[in-house]
Amino acid sequence: MGENLAQNYGEVVAMVLFGIGFTNLLLQKNMIKKIIGLNIMDTAVYLFLAEKGYITGHIAPIIVNNDFSPDTYINPVPSGLVLTGIVVSVSVTALMLSLTIRLYRRYHTLDLDEVSKRLKKEGL
Amino acid sequence: MEIILNFPCISILLAMFSAIISSALNGKWAKYLNTFVVTAVGVLSAFTFWYTYTTKNSYTYVMGHYPAPYGNEIRFGSLEAGMALFFAVIMLLSLNGGRKKIRLEIAPEKEKLYYIMINLLLSSLLALVYTNDIFTAYVFVEINTIAACGLIMITEHGRTIEAAVRYMIMSLLGSGLFLIGICLLYDMTGHLLMVYIHSSITKIMAAGTYQIPLLVTIGLIVVGLAIKSALFPFHAWLPDAYGYSTVSSAAMLSSLVSKGYIFLLIKLIYRVIGFRRFYESGIVNVLFVFGLAGMIMGSLYAIRENDIRRMISYSSVAQIGYIYMGFGLGTSIGMVASIFHILSHAATKSLLFVSASGLTDVSGGHKEFQELTGAGYRNKAAGAAFTVGAFSMVGIPCFSGFISKLLFAQAAIQTSGKTLPTLIVLAISTVLNAIYFLKTVIRIYTPVKDDKYEAVSSGKNMLYLVTLVCFIVLNLALGMISQPITDWISYGVTALI
Amino acid sequence: MAQILLLPILFPIAAGIILLLCKEFKNRKPLLIYVGSVLVITGICAVFAMIQNINNGVAAFYLTKTLAIYFKPDVLGCVFASVVTIVWILAGFFSFEYMKHEKNEKRYFSFYLMVFGVLLGLGFSGNLITMYLFYELMTLTAMPLVLHTQSREAVMAGLKYLFYSFAGAYMALFGVYFVYKYGTTLEFTAGGVIESSVLRQNTTLFLVVTMLMLMGFGVKAGMFPMHSWLPTAHPAAPAPASAVLSGIIVKGGVLAIIRLVYQIIGPDFIRGTWVQTAWMILTLVTVFMGSLLAFREPVLKKRLAYSTVSQLSYILFGLSLLDGQAFTGSLLHVVAHAFIKAALFLTAGAIIYMTGCKRVEELRGIGKGMPVTLWCYTIVSLGLIGIPPTSGFISKWYLATGALETGIPVFSWLGPVVLLVSALLTAGYLLPITMNGFFPGEGYDAGRFLGKEPPLLMRVPLLIFAGLTLLIGLFPNVLINMLSALAELFV
Repeated sequence: MGENLAQNYGEVVAMVLFGIGFTNLLLQKNMIKKIIGLNIMDTAVYLFLAEKGYITGHIAPIIVNNDFSPDTYINPVPSGLVLTGIVVSVSVTALMLSLTIRLYRRYHTLDLDEVSKRLKKEGL
Repeated sequence: MEIILNFPCISILLAMFSAIISSALNGKWAKYLNTFVVTAVGVLSAFTFWYTYTTKNSYTYVMGHYPAPYGNEIRFGSLEAGMALFFAVIMLLSLNGGRKKIRLEIAPEKEKLYYIMINLLLSSLLALVYTNDIFTAYVFVEINTIAACGLIMITEHGRTIEAAVRYMIMSLLGSGLFLIGICLLYDMTGHLLMVYIHSSITKIMAAGTYQIPLLVTIGLIVVGLAIKSALFPFHAWLPDAYGYSTVSSAAMLSSLVSKGYIFLLIKLIYRVIGFRRFYESGIVNVLFVFGLAGMIMGSLYAIRENDIRRMISYSSVAQIGYIYMGFGLGTSIGMVASIFHILSHAATKSLLFVSASGLTDVSGGHKEFQELTGAGYRNKAAGAAFTVGAFSMVGIPCFSGFISKLLFAQAAIQTSGKTLPTLIVLAISTVLNAIYFLKTVIRIYTPVKDDKYEAVSSGKNMLYLVTLVCFIVLNLALGMISQPITDWISYGVTALI
Repeated sequence: MAQILLLPILFPIAAGIILLLCKEFKNRKPLLIYVGSVLVITGICAVFAMIQNINNGVAAFYLTKTLAIYFKPDVLGCVFASVVTIVWILAGFFSFEYMKHEKNEKRYFSFYLMVFGVLLGLGFSGNLITMYLFYELMTLTAMPLVLHTQSREAVMAGLKYLFYSFAGAYMALFGVYFVYKYGTTLEFTAGGVIESSVLRQNTTLFLVVTMLMLMGFGVKAGMFPMHSWLPTAHPAAPAPASAVLSGIIVKGGVLAIIRLVYQIIGPDFIRGTWVQTAWMILTLVTVFMGSLLAFREPVLKKRLAYSTVSQLSYILFGLSLLDGQAFTGSLLHVVAHAFIKAALFLTAGAIIYMTGCKRVEELRGIGKGMPVTLWCYTIVSLGLIGIPPTSGFISKWYLATGALETGIPVFSWLGPVVLLVSALLTAGYLLPITMNGFFPGEGYDAGRFLGKEPPLLMRVPLLIFAGLTLLIGLFPNVLINMLSALAELFV
């Protein structure tokens, strides 16, 4: 068990980071901290994917010297997934940030519970 | 007729490109383009549906140059095509029903953005329905979320912004779990295409390795999608989001967005995990319990509510509970019942939202019940449509809701051990539904002396009237000629694999 | 031409919907002519449909492959439909006069017509799912009649009615699912549709299901412990509507129970089980309690509603004995009670309409001013108590002898005793009105009621009901022969 963890330390770190990010996104009150949590969570997934795609001693799949042997290169698909994931996460983060700005302009607070209280008071 | 096989791909691309083109148009033309695209997608899906239904075959369509198992694929049978058709129809009706409100509630310079979001929503829904690649599914899940968020916050209102933020947070939690789930799945199986993952999983299971990680993965994916589709207790964002956004948004969010995720989950269950394995994993029991809890709690919340839109929203929580309860029964009949309920709920709930907007309009824009007194006389068409929707929700025979309840009950009776809880909760939930929906119907048909608000004649807004009639017909059709539909669904789920 | 069956069902429903959609009428005459002709035409259609198509089935359409909306009028259905037709038309003509002093006549009459069609549909329905459909529709379409005045009290009564009815209907639906699963067919078949081997394997399950369905349908028939909506809802409606609610709509529950027990589950399965015992206890409790509550109630319409609770359980008690003679008695009482209770409520309506009196103690001396009304009241009261030569006597005779004949320990003698006590109570709560009406004694306002005899349109229905009560009491043989044949088939 312990040996297994030590061998796959990259994945372990990724999972721990995912947990940290997830809890932050769920439990933080402050919107900015929530968004940071979201980014940690997404990054953890990329770390995980990159770790899975990497094969020790192999290089990035850019063909030089007509070397088509699969033993030379790492698996390119996870890298592609990471790139796609980054695009998605960037756009989601941008959306969240813009929403936060809207919220802040209106209520001058980053605390979502505070906003709810305010809304109740307004009776909207 | 080979050309029909291109239609699913074309419809996705059509919706997506129209979103891009719309950004260069003004609001009016964006509206026309959107109407055209939704109609076109409907027609294309109808052809695809007809073709797949008559040939009784599923087709795989390779996207790009790489063949399986590396490339990206679309795969469609009659169930997928039928769903796409249904989504397009509901979307068109919801938009038409709320067209006037869109003009009133959305700032003119933002109207174009609204239609961009709708095009994106359509393309992502179609992609969720058709795709055979789990990572593509993830990407479109996120696009769907962003588009839905846009639909919520397009009306400038404190509540909608708050609701949008809450919706985003919940959704992101869900998609985070979903993402890590599919990464783990990829890690274990080495594939991204659903069919190949399935065969790998079968091999893994036969070898007896990775049992627990596989279970965890299935759990992550299912829970992720359940959160996104607002299964109780992950529904906190729902009443604000549905209650304060513009009416078309509310109708589409409740009948399409959450259903898109659920349909993806159904595909994953059948095509990736395998129904048998899903059943044996025990996750069905979790879904079952949460589904039952949702059925009761959603209705209880709805009874307490004094705002008609929020009441209908809470009723969605209950209806989503029904669908997950059907999953939880763990039989294919239960699954058929759930899919039928997706259709029936989509048709009914958007009808309710659209007709409720007509009722609030003739009550000075108020959504509280005391102001709605007599609204059924002031807007006769909306009143009648709301009554039909309420009857369907309560489960009066001849309306669609009755058939789904009948199917759920039939499915429940065939299980061992889940029969009694299901039937009891079904009965309680139906009585609760009856309380709040019929209370509302009575309220809107209680005449008031010297009415404060003016009546409108239904002939004034033809588009609205026609939409309501279409919705009612759809509802009655689902209720009265359900046999071919259930036959189609039960054939369709077997063809998913 | 079996399709003619659909005509008396769909025609009044369509006519009602059309009326609902019409603009408000300027004067009453066209409205009354429309409603009157629809009532009469429907009545004629119903009679023709029954004569032509007795025991002929027709499927209107299919909900799913195995679920048909299917009509097949058997003798039971025809008896029910005939009673409905008679009471509906007479009470309809009564309301032409009565509704003068109520608002929203158009809405009242449109729903009145719709319920007529729905009830004929309920009578003609040939399988469980059709019956359930019309049962639900009956609840829904009758509701506007209950909350017609839309005072706060009426709306609350309507909601209570709705809640109880739906709770009951879903308890019943719960059972429908099981019958659908285990039964060979959903079509009503004498002796039951579930194979006895299946029943034997799942005895407990089916007993529970039967009990639930009994309680569920029993809600409509005001059976204890779900009876409390009835005394609230029935008096809240306008008098002619109360008459049909108490006279007919509650019988919908009875019809459903007969169908369930004798034609779906089968009496042999229930006989001697705890379900039968529990059912008998519930009905006897209801009989006694209803009479007692009626005895204490000062408001006339409420008193009559409590009396309905009690009388309905006479019928249910007869059914619960699962005996041929008692079954005949029950069905006789269905017919007798429908006419009697309709007449009683119409009397109460006529009194309210003419004098505005609602409480029993205000009615002293009423016989001086409204002799015809009070005589009708007295005749039907005697019928309800069970004094010869009225219809009530015949039905109660059959009920009591049937109970004694069965030889079920305790209940075979306890039943008749309770029925007797309740009959005394019935006399105690109905006859004082007659006595004080004709012999007011000293110190009452003699002029109050003078010349208050209701108009012809109200008097004639009352006279016809009173006449029918006597007629059945004097010449019961035709009806008894028909019903005994039915009883032999069923039990």
